[in-house]
Amino acid sequence: MALDISSTTLGNSAHITLNGQLDSSTAPAVRELVDKLLANGPSNLVLHLENLDFMASAGLRVIIFAKQKSPDLKVYVVKPQETIVETLRKTGFYQSVYVVDESPL
Amino acid sequence: METATFPGDLDALAPIRQFVEKAAKQAGLDKKAIYDLCLAVDEIATNVVTHGYEEAGLKGDLQIDAEITPETLVIHLQDSGVPYDPSSHLVPTPEDLDRPLEDRNVGGLGILLARAAVDELNYKHIDSFHVHEFVVRRKGHG
Repeated sequence: MALDISSTTLGNSAHITLNGQLDSSTAPAVRELVDKLLANGPSNLVLHLENLDFMASAGLRVIIFAKQKSPDLKVYVVKPQETIVETLRKTGFYQSVYVVDESPL
Repeated sequence: METATFPGDLDALAPIRQFVEKAAKQAGLDKKAIYDLCLAVDEIATNVVTHGYEEAGLKGDLQIDAEITPETLVIHLQDSGVPYDPSSHLVPTPEDLDRPLEDRNVGGLGILLARAAVDELNYKHIDSFHVHEFVVRRKGHG
């Protein structure tokens, strides 16, 4: 029940794919990666979450971290599972990120 | 009644969720209720480890048990760290949740999710231990 993290940068978009479970023990590695990727000044952060089975508030705090570091950054969440959509809705994140079915970029 | 004990650090979160998932399946909860309960326990366990143990420089265990009654599944999460009462904790207001993410305070989101995810979240002291109690009603049972 760990978290597999992979990333790639395409043009001005940083892509991160998360497979597994994102909790407070696995979030620091994601935050570190986001920090590193944002140093290049991308316009978009695309989170591929199709195979993310669990996300605690630690995942939300990574998104806040990204937006506070780069306020103009557009955050896309690709294919999140329904439970994670629910978390985004309850916490008011749903209107602040772009939840999409396909990678936009 | 099932019981398990883990060292009170963040590595305990995954096995705690496994424990909760197994109990929730035994209680016949649906997929969403199982996820919600795992989320609630995970958020509280995170706060207990972070605020109750690590920030206070303390070490201790997290003990968890599950009790299935005809009407409910009850999970207890017990610790011996600095008391951490989720009901006394400030959570984001609806206005806070409307704010752009770049203006957000990161605190309280976990408690907000935990409270919303279960039917009851109770907190009590037993001797020198603190116990968080999560109650979920088993629909269609009892």
